[in-house]
Amino acid sequence: MISKELLDRLIREIPSPPENAVRVLEVLRDSESTPSKVEEALRYDPGLTANILRMANSAYFGLPQRIGSIRQAVVVLGWKRVYDLVMVSCMSSVMDRPVEGYDLAKGELWRHSVAVSVTAELLAKELEIRGVDEVFTASLLHDIGKLLLGILIKEHMRDPEFFSKGDSSFDRLEKGLIGIDHAEAGAIVLERWGLPHRVVNAVRYHHNPEDSPKPDSMLDILHLADVTCLILGFTAGKEGLKYEPSSSVAKRLNMSSSILERASSLTLEKMNQLMRV
Amino acid sequence: MRIVVDVADMKASGNGDEIVTHALGSCLGLTVWDPISKVGAMLHAMLPLSKINPDKALENPYMFVDTGVPALFQAFYKLGGKKERAVIKAAGCGAPLGDDRIFKIGERNLIVLKKLLWKNNLLLAAEDTGGTQSRTLYFDLSTGKVVVQSGGERREL
Repeated sequence: MISKELLDRLIREIPSPPENAVRVLEVLRDSESTPSKVEEALRYDPGLTANILRMANSAYFGLPQRIGSIRQAVVVLGWKRVYDLVMVSCMSSVMDRPVEGYDLAKGELWRHSVAVSVTAELLAKELEIRGVDEVFTASLLHDIGKLLLGILIKEHMRDPEFFSKGDSSFDRLEKGLIGIDHAEAGAIVLERWGLPHRVVNAVRYHHNPEDSPKPDSMLDILHLADVTCLILGFTAGKEGLKYEPSSSVAKRLNMSSSILERASSLTLEKMNQLMRV
Repeated sequence: MRIVVDVADMKASGNGDEIVTHALGSCLGLTVWDPISKVGAMLHAMLPLSKINPDKALENPYMFVDTGVPALFQAFYKLGGKKERAVIKAAGCGAPLGDDRIFKIGERNLIVLKKLLWKNNLLLAAEDTGGTQSRTLYFDLSTGKVVVQSGGERREL
Protein backbone atom coordinates (compact mmCIF):
# COMPACT_ATOMS: atom_id res chain seq x y z
CA MET A 1 0.00 0.00 0.00
CA ILE A 2 1.21 3.47 -0.84
CA SER A 3 2.19 5.77 2.04
CA LYS A 4 1.43 9.48 2.18
CA GLU A 5 5.16 10.26 2.07
CA LEU A 6 5.71 8.20 -1.07
CA LEU A 7 2.68 9.76 -2.75
CA ASP A 8 3.98 13.26 -1.88
CA ARG A 9 7.37 12.44 -3.31
CA LEU A 10 5.91 11.03 -6.53
CA ILE A 11 3.74 14.14 -6.98
CA ARG A 12 6.78 16.39 -6.62
CA GLU A 13 8.55 14.40 -9.33
CA ILE A 14 5.94 15.26 -11.94
CA PRO A 15 7.01 18.46 -13.65
CA SER A 16 4.24 20.99 -13.12
CA PRO A 17 3.22 23.30 -15.96
CA PRO A 18 5.65 26.20 -16.45
CA GLU A 19 5.00 29.13 -14.09
CA ASN A 20 4.29 31.49 -16.91
CA ALA A 21 1.70 29.19 -18.45
CA VAL A 22 -0.03 28.94 -15.07
CA ARG A 23 -0.23 32.76 -14.95
CA VAL A 24 -1.69 32.84 -18.46
CA LEU A 25 -4.25 30.22 -17.50
CA GLU A 26 -5.25 32.30 -14.46
CA VAL A 27 -5.73 35.39 -16.60
CA LEU A 28 -7.81 33.38 -19.07
CA ARG A 29 -10.00 32.00 -16.28
CA ASP A 30 -10.61 35.41 -14.73
CA SER A 31 -13.98 36.68 -15.92
CA GLU A 32 -12.75 40.29 -15.70
CA SER A 33 -9.79 39.76 -18.00
CA THR A 34 -9.40 41.61 -21.26
CA PRO A 35 -7.58 40.47 -24.42
CA SER A 36 -4.83 42.96 -23.65
CA LYS A 37 -4.29 41.38 -20.24
CA VAL A 38 -3.78 38.04 -21.98
CA GLU A 39 -1.31 39.63 -24.39
CA GLU A 40 0.50 41.18 -21.45
CA ALA A 41 0.81 37.82 -19.71
CA LEU A 42 2.14 36.23 -22.89
CA ARG A 43 4.54 39.04 -23.79
CA TYR A 44 7.60 37.30 -22.41
CA ASP A 45 6.76 33.87 -23.71
CA PRO A 46 7.24 33.91 -27.49
CA GLY A 47 7.31 30.09 -27.62
CA LEU A 48 3.88 29.76 -26.05
CA THR A 49 2.52 32.61 -28.18
CA ALA A 50 3.80 30.96 -31.36
CA ASN A 51 2.28 27.63 -30.34
CA ILE A 52 -1.12 29.17 -29.69
CA LEU A 53 -1.12 30.91 -33.05
CA ARG A 54 0.01 27.78 -34.86
CA MET A 55 -2.80 25.74 -33.34
CA ALA A 56 -5.36 28.49 -33.91
CA ASN A 57 -4.46 28.41 -37.61
CA SER A 58 -4.49 24.62 -37.90
CA ALA A 59 -6.95 22.51 -39.85
CA TYR A 60 -8.55 21.60 -36.51
CA PHE A 61 -10.41 24.91 -36.46
CA GLY A 62 -10.56 25.34 -40.22
CA LEU A 63 -10.98 29.12 -39.97
CA PRO A 64 -11.44 31.10 -43.17
CA GLN A 65 -9.13 33.89 -42.03
CA ARG A 66 -5.61 33.81 -40.72
CA ILE A 67 -5.10 34.61 -37.03
CA GLY A 68 -2.08 36.82 -36.50
CA SER A 69 -2.27 37.86 -32.85
CA ILE A 70 -3.33 36.60 -29.46
CA ARG A 71 -5.94 39.37 -29.29
CA GLN A 72 -7.47 38.12 -32.52
CA ALA A 73 -7.37 34.53 -31.30
CA VAL A 74 -9.34 35.51 -28.19
CA VAL A 75 -11.89 37.39 -30.28
CA VAL A 76 -12.33 34.75 -33.00
CA LEU A 77 -11.95 31.51 -31.01
CA GLY A 78 -13.14 32.74 -27.63
CA TRP A 79 -11.59 32.62 -24.16
CA LYS A 80 -12.30 28.97 -23.64
CA ARG A 81 -10.54 27.86 -26.79
CA VAL A 82 -7.44 29.92 -26.09
CA TYR A 83 -7.41 28.40 -22.60
CA ASP A 84 -7.54 24.91 -24.16
CA LEU A 85 -4.68 25.76 -26.49
CA VAL A 86 -2.46 27.03 -23.66
CA MET A 87 -3.24 23.78 -21.84
CA VAL A 88 -2.32 21.66 -24.88
CA SER A 89 0.84 23.63 -25.40
CA CYS A 90 2.14 23.34 -21.86
CA MET A 91 1.04 19.77 -21.11
CA SER A 92 2.33 18.06 -24.25
CA SER A 93 5.93 17.89 -23.03
CA VAL A 94 4.91 16.66 -19.55
CA MET A 95 2.61 13.95 -20.91
CA ASP A 96 4.63 12.95 -23.95
CA ARG A 97 7.02 10.77 -22.00
CA PRO A 98 6.90 6.97 -21.94
CA VAL A 99 5.03 5.49 -18.97
CA GLU A 100 6.57 2.32 -17.67
CA GLY A 101 4.25 -0.03 -15.89
CA TYR A 102 1.34 0.81 -18.16
CA ASP A 103 3.39 -0.13 -21.22
CA LEU A 104 2.87 3.22 -22.86
CA ALA A 105 5.64 4.11 -25.32
CA LYS A 106 6.76 7.72 -25.73
CA GLY A 107 3.86 9.80 -27.03
CA GLU A 108 1.14 7.24 -26.32
CA LEU A 109 -0.23 8.79 -23.13
CA TRP A 110 -0.38 12.14 -24.91
CA ARG A 111 -2.04 10.63 -27.97
CA HIS A 112 -4.68 9.02 -25.75
CA SER A 113 -5.23 12.29 -23.87
CA VAL A 114 -5.76 14.25 -27.09
CA ALA A 115 -8.01 11.47 -28.45
CA VAL A 116 -10.22 11.62 -25.36
CA SER A 117 -10.37 15.44 -25.50
CA VAL A 118 -11.60 15.54 -29.09
CA THR A 119 -13.96 12.58 -28.54
CA ALA A 120 -15.45 14.29 -25.47
CA GLU A 121 -16.22 17.40 -27.51
CA LEU A 122 -17.64 15.33 -30.37
CA LEU A 123 -19.86 13.39 -27.95
CA ALA A 124 -21.04 16.58 -26.22
CA LYS A 125 -22.04 17.92 -29.63
CA GLU A 126 -23.75 14.72 -30.82
CA LEU A 127 -25.58 14.33 -27.48
CA GLU A 128 -26.44 18.06 -27.45
CA ILE A 129 -25.09 18.61 -23.97
CA ARG A 130 -24.19 22.17 -23.03
CA GLY A 131 -22.41 23.72 -20.07
CA VAL A 132 -19.43 21.38 -20.24
CA ASP A 133 -16.83 23.93 -21.31
CA GLU A 134 -14.08 22.42 -19.22
CA VAL A 135 -14.46 18.90 -20.57
CA PHE A 136 -11.53 19.43 -22.94
CA THR A 137 -9.17 20.33 -20.10
CA ALA A 138 -10.43 17.54 -17.86
CA SER A 139 -10.01 15.06 -20.70
CA LEU A 140 -6.51 16.24 -21.50
CA LEU A 141 -5.45 15.70 -17.89
CA HIS A 142 -7.58 12.70 -16.90
CA ASP A 143 -4.77 10.12 -16.94
CA ILE A 144 -2.01 12.24 -15.43
CA GLY A 145 -2.12 9.91 -12.42
CA LYS A 146 -0.55 7.21 -14.61
CA LEU A 147 2.67 9.25 -14.62
CA LEU A 148 2.59 9.00 -10.86
CA LEU A 149 1.77 5.33 -10.41
CA GLY A 150 3.70 3.87 -13.36
CA ILE A 151 6.74 3.04 -11.30
CA LEU A 152 4.67 1.24 -8.66
CA ILE A 153 2.67 -0.70 -11.25
CA LYS A 154 5.93 -1.78 -12.83
CA GLU A 155 6.92 -3.48 -9.58
CA HIS A 156 3.74 -5.55 -9.66
CA MET A 157 4.14 -6.44 -13.32
CA ARG A 158 6.53 -9.18 -12.31
CA ASP A 159 3.65 -10.90 -10.58
CA PRO A 160 2.24 -13.19 -13.29
CA GLU A 161 -1.12 -13.25 -11.58
CA PHE A 162 -1.55 -9.52 -11.97
CA PHE A 163 -3.05 -9.67 -15.43
CA SER A 164 -4.69 -13.04 -15.26
CA LYS A 165 -7.42 -11.75 -12.98
CA GLY A 166 -9.58 -11.62 -16.06
CA ASP A 167 -12.87 -10.12 -14.97
CA SER A 168 -11.62 -7.39 -12.68
CA SER A 169 -11.37 -3.88 -14.09
CA PHE A 170 -7.91 -2.36 -14.15
CA ASP A 171 -8.68 0.50 -11.77
CA ARG A 172 -9.86 -2.07 -9.21
CA LEU A 173 -6.59 -3.99 -9.63
CA GLU A 174 -4.61 -0.79 -9.03
CA LYS A 175 -6.58 -0.04 -5.90
CA GLY A 176 -6.18 -3.56 -4.59
CA LEU A 177 -2.42 -3.56 -5.07
CA ILE A 178 -1.34 0.00 -4.38
CA GLY A 179 -4.28 1.32 -2.39
CA ILE A 180 -5.07 4.05 -4.90
CA ASP A 181 -6.02 4.08 -8.59
CA HIS A 182 -4.61 6.40 -11.28
CA ALA A 183 -7.81 8.46 -11.33
CA GLU A 184 -7.53 9.32 -7.63
CA ALA A 185 -3.78 9.94 -7.97
CA GLY A 186 -4.43 12.30 -10.89
CA ALA A 187 -7.09 14.20 -8.94
CA ILE A 188 -4.63 14.76 -6.09
CA VAL A 189 -2.03 16.19 -8.50
CA LEU A 190 -4.54 18.53 -10.13
CA GLU A 191 -5.83 19.70 -6.74
CA ARG A 192 -2.26 20.69 -5.85
CA TRP A 193 -1.96 22.54 -9.14
CA GLY A 194 -5.09 24.51 -8.32
CA LEU A 195 -7.32 23.26 -11.14
CA PRO A 196 -11.07 24.01 -10.73
CA HIS A 197 -13.01 21.65 -8.49
CA ARG A 198 -15.24 20.40 -11.30
CA VAL A 199 -12.21 19.33 -13.34
CA VAL A 200 -10.61 17.60 -10.34
CA ASN A 201 -13.88 15.79 -9.60
CA ALA A 202 -14.27 14.62 -13.21
CA VAL A 203 -10.71 13.24 -13.20
CA ARG A 204 -11.21 11.56 -9.81
CA TYR A 205 -14.32 9.62 -10.89
CA HIS A 206 -13.67 9.12 -14.58
CA HIS A 207 -13.72 5.32 -14.26
CA ASN A 208 -16.50 5.22 -11.65
CA PRO A 209 -18.84 8.12 -12.37
CA GLU A 210 -21.54 6.65 -10.09
CA ASP A 211 -19.28 7.23 -7.08
CA SER A 212 -19.22 11.01 -7.61
CA PRO A 213 -20.94 12.83 -4.69
CA LYS A 214 -23.14 14.49 -7.26
CA PRO A 215 -23.81 13.62 -10.88
CA ASP A 216 -22.14 15.89 -13.43
CA SER A 217 -22.63 15.74 -17.18
CA MET A 218 -19.02 16.82 -17.74
CA LEU A 219 -17.79 13.82 -15.74
CA ASP A 220 -20.23 11.60 -17.63
CA ILE A 221 -18.91 12.75 -20.99
CA LEU A 222 -15.30 12.31 -19.92
CA HIS A 223 -16.13 8.77 -18.79
CA LEU A 224 -17.79 7.85 -22.08
CA ALA A 225 -15.07 9.50 -24.19
CA ASP A 226 -12.34 7.68 -22.29
CA VAL A 227 -14.03 4.30 -22.61
CA THR A 228 -14.67 4.94 -26.30
CA CYS A 229 -11.00 5.69 -26.96
CA LEU A 230 -9.86 2.65 -24.99
CA ILE A 231 -12.25 0.45 -26.96
CA LEU A 232 -11.06 1.86 -30.28
CA GLY A 233 -7.42 1.43 -29.34
CA PHE A 234 -6.49 5.16 -28.96
CA THR A 235 -4.35 4.07 -27.07
CA ALA A 236 -4.75 1.10 -24.82
CA GLY A 237 -1.77 0.33 -22.66
CA LYS A 238 -1.12 -3.04 -21.16
CA GLU A 239 -4.53 -3.06 -19.51
CA GLY A 240 -6.25 -3.27 -22.92
CA LEU A 241 -10.01 -2.93 -22.68
CA LYS A 242 -10.24 -3.87 -19.01
CA TYR A 243 -12.60 -1.08 -18.02
CA GLU A 244 -16.34 -1.11 -17.60
CA PRO A 245 -18.49 1.55 -19.26
CA SER A 246 -21.25 2.78 -16.97
CA SER A 247 -24.68 1.81 -18.25
CA SER A 248 -26.41 4.36 -16.05
CA VAL A 249 -24.27 7.15 -17.50
CA ALA A 250 -25.05 5.93 -21.02
CA LYS A 251 -28.75 5.98 -20.17
CA ARG A 252 -28.56 9.37 -18.46
CA LEU A 253 -27.01 10.95 -21.55
CA ASN A 254 -29.22 9.11 -24.05
CA MET A 255 -26.21 7.46 -25.56
CA SER A 256 -26.81 5.02 -28.41
CA SER A 257 -24.57 2.82 -30.51
CA SER A 258 -25.12 5.05 -33.53
CA ILE A 259 -24.11 8.19 -31.63
CA LEU A 260 -21.05 6.36 -30.33
CA GLU A 261 -20.08 5.20 -33.81
CA ARG A 262 -20.82 8.55 -35.43
CA ALA A 263 -18.55 10.39 -32.96
CA SER A 264 -15.92 7.66 -33.34
CA SER A 265 -15.88 8.10 -37.11
CA LEU A 266 -14.83 11.73 -36.59
CA THR A 267 -12.32 11.19 -33.79
CA LEU A 268 -9.34 10.10 -35.86
CA GLU A 269 -9.28 13.11 -38.16
CA LYS A 270 -9.76 15.65 -35.34
CA MET A 271 -7.09 13.96 -33.29
CA ASN A 272 -4.58 14.00 -36.13
CA GLN A 273 -5.28 17.65 -36.85
CA LEU A 274 -4.53 18.61 -33.27
CA MET A 275 -1.50 16.33 -32.98
CA ARG A 276 0.09 17.56 -36.19
CA VAL A 277 0.57 21.18 -35.06
CA MET B 1 10.58 -4.55 -45.28
CA ARG B 2 8.13 -3.84 -42.47
CA ILE B 3 4.93 -2.08 -43.50
CA VAL B 4 2.70 -0.56 -40.81
CA VAL B 5 -1.07 -0.41 -41.16
CA ASP B 6 -2.54 2.49 -39.17
CA VAL B 7 -6.02 2.70 -37.69
CA ALA B 8 -8.56 2.85 -40.55
CA ASP B 9 -5.93 1.81 -43.07
CA MET B 10 -5.01 -1.04 -45.45
CA LYS B 11 -1.75 -2.15 -47.03
CA ALA B 12 -1.13 -4.74 -49.72
CA SER B 13 2.16 -6.15 -50.94
CA GLY B 14 3.76 -8.98 -52.78
CA ASN B 15 7.41 -8.64 -51.89
CA GLY B 16 7.90 -10.95 -48.95
CA ASP B 17 7.34 -7.99 -46.63
CA GLU B 18 6.04 -8.09 -43.07
CA ILE B 19 2.81 -6.18 -42.49
CA VAL B 20 2.07 -5.06 -38.91
CA THR B 21 -0.79 -3.32 -37.15
CA HIS B 22 -0.87 -2.18 -33.50
CA ALA B 23 -3.47 -1.58 -30.78
CA LEU B 24 -6.39 -3.58 -32.12
CA GLY B 25 -9.10 -3.09 -29.51
CA SER B 26 -12.62 -3.37 -30.88
CA CYS B 27 -11.21 -2.79 -34.36
CA LEU B 28 -11.01 -5.61 -36.89
CA GLY B 29 -7.63 -6.78 -38.16
CA LEU B 30 -8.09 -8.86 -41.31
CA THR B 31 -5.42 -10.56 -43.41
CA VAL B 32 -5.70 -12.26 -46.78
CA TRP B 33 -2.90 -14.30 -48.43
CA ASP B 34 -2.36 -16.26 -51.60
CA PRO B 35 0.10 -19.14 -50.98
CA ILE B 36 1.00 -19.47 -54.68
CA SER B 37 1.64 -15.84 -55.66
CA LYS B 38 2.62 -14.92 -52.05
CA VAL B 39 0.55 -11.79 -52.33
CA GLY B 40 -1.18 -10.49 -49.22
CA ALA B 41 -3.02 -7.55 -47.64
CA MET B 42 -4.05 -6.39 -44.18
CA LEU B 43 -6.95 -4.19 -43.10
CA HIS B 44 -7.44 -2.33 -39.78
CA ALA B 45 -11.10 -1.23 -39.76
CA MET B 46 -12.69 0.70 -36.88
CA LEU B 47 -16.44 0.60 -37.29
CA PRO B 48 -18.99 -1.84 -38.74
CA LEU B 49 -21.14 0.11 -41.21
CA SER B 50 -20.37 3.06 -43.44
CA LYS B 51 -23.94 4.38 -43.32
CA ILE B 52 -23.04 6.05 -40.01
CA ASN B 53 -20.87 8.53 -41.96
CA PRO B 54 -21.04 8.02 -45.77
CA ASP B 55 -18.84 11.07 -46.48
CA LYS B 56 -16.09 9.61 -44.36
CA ALA B 57 -16.42 6.26 -46.16
CA LEU B 58 -15.87 7.96 -49.52
CA GLU B 59 -12.80 9.68 -48.17
CA ASN B 60 -11.46 6.57 -46.38
CA PRO B 61 -13.20 3.23 -47.07
CA TYR B 62 -10.84 1.43 -44.65
CA MET B 63 -12.54 3.01 -41.64
CA PHE B 64 -15.56 0.71 -42.00
CA VAL B 65 -15.81 -3.07 -42.28
CA ASP B 66 -18.49 -2.99 -45.00
CA THR B 67 -16.41 -0.77 -47.30
CA GLY B 68 -12.94 -1.80 -46.10
CA VAL B 69 -13.23 -5.55 -46.74
CA PRO B 70 -14.19 -5.15 -50.43
CA ALA B 71 -11.36 -2.60 -50.83
CA LEU B 72 -8.94 -5.07 -49.20
CA PHE B 73 -9.91 -7.79 -51.69
CA GLN B 74 -9.67 -5.40 -54.64
CA ALA B 75 -6.10 -4.56 -53.67
CA PHE B 76 -5.34 -8.28 -53.19
CA TYR B 77 -6.72 -9.20 -56.64
CA LYS B 78 -4.93 -6.30 -58.28
CA LEU B 79 -1.57 -7.67 -57.12
CA GLY B 80 -2.41 -11.12 -58.50
CA GLY B 81 -4.11 -12.77 -55.51
CA LYS B 82 -6.78 -15.33 -56.42
CA LYS B 83 -10.10 -15.73 -54.63
CA GLU B 84 -10.05 -19.56 -54.74
CA ARG B 85 -6.68 -19.63 -52.98
CA ALA B 86 -7.33 -16.83 -50.47
CA VAL B 87 -6.40 -17.67 -46.87
CA ILE B 88 -8.32 -15.25 -44.64
CA LYS B 89 -7.62 -14.64 -40.95
CA ALA B 90 -9.25 -12.25 -38.47
CA ALA B 91 -8.12 -10.76 -35.15
CA GLY B 92 -9.30 -8.06 -32.75
CA CYS B 93 -13.01 -7.24 -32.27
CA GLY B 94 -12.50 -7.02 -28.50
CA ALA B 95 -14.99 -5.56 -26.02
CA PRO B 96 -14.79 -3.74 -22.69
CA LEU B 97 -16.11 -5.33 -19.47
CA GLY B 98 -19.83 -5.25 -18.71
CA ASP B 99 -22.93 -6.19 -20.68
CA ASP B 100 -23.98 -2.91 -22.25
CA ARG B 101 -24.61 -3.57 -25.96
CA ILE B 102 -23.88 0.02 -26.93
CA PHE B 103 -20.17 -0.47 -26.40
CA LYS B 104 -19.82 -3.80 -28.21
CA ILE B 105 -18.44 -2.26 -31.39
CA GLY B 106 -16.10 -5.25 -31.77
CA GLU B 107 -18.95 -7.75 -31.91
CA ARG B 108 -20.73 -5.65 -34.51
CA ASN B 109 -17.52 -5.50 -36.56
CA LEU B 110 -17.23 -9.30 -36.50
CA ILE B 111 -20.87 -9.84 -37.46
CA VAL B 112 -20.59 -7.54 -40.47
CA LEU B 113 -17.37 -9.31 -41.54
CA LYS B 114 -18.93 -12.76 -41.30
CA LYS B 115 -22.01 -11.69 -43.24
CA LEU B 116 -19.83 -10.26 -46.00
CA LEU B 117 -17.65 -13.36 -46.23
CA TRP B 118 -20.67 -15.67 -46.22
CA LYS B 119 -22.35 -13.74 -49.02
CA ASN B 120 -19.18 -14.10 -51.08
CA ASN B 121 -18.62 -17.79 -50.36
CA LEU B 122 -15.50 -17.15 -48.34
CA LEU B 123 -14.52 -18.68 -45.00
CA LEU B 124 -12.15 -17.66 -42.21
CA ALA B 125 -9.16 -19.99 -41.92
CA ALA B 126 -8.53 -18.79 -38.36
CA GLU B 127 -9.59 -16.09 -35.91
CA ASP B 128 -8.48 -14.67 -32.58
CA THR B 129 -11.30 -12.34 -31.62
CA GLY B 130 -13.19 -10.99 -28.62
CA GLY B 131 -12.05 -10.58 -25.03
CA THR B 132 -10.57 -7.55 -23.31
CA GLN B 133 -7.05 -7.68 -24.75
CA SER B 134 -5.45 -5.21 -27.05
CA ARG B 135 -3.66 -7.02 -29.90
CA THR B 136 -0.78 -6.44 -32.28
CA LEU B 137 -0.88 -8.38 -35.54
CA TYR B 138 2.19 -9.52 -37.52
CA PHE B 139 1.75 -10.92 -41.03
CA ASP B 140 4.72 -12.47 -42.86
CA LEU B 141 4.05 -12.45 -46.59
CA SER B 142 6.79 -14.92 -47.45
CA THR B 143 5.20 -17.68 -45.33
CA GLY B 144 1.67 -16.43 -44.76
CA LYS B 145 2.24 -16.78 -41.03
CA VAL B 146 0.04 -14.52 -38.89
CA VAL B 147 1.09 -13.93 -35.28
CA VAL B 148 -1.04 -12.23 -32.62
CA GLN B 149 0.70 -10.54 -29.73
CA SER B 150 -1.20 -9.45 -26.62
CA GLY B 151 -0.09 -8.79 -23.07
CA GLY B 152 3.44 -10.08 -23.70
CA GLU B 153 2.16 -13.34 -25.23
CA ARG B 154 2.62 -14.37 -28.87
CA ARG B 155 0.56 -17.02 -30.63
CA GLU B 156 0.28 -18.09 -34.22
CA LEU B 157 -3.05 -17.82 -35.92
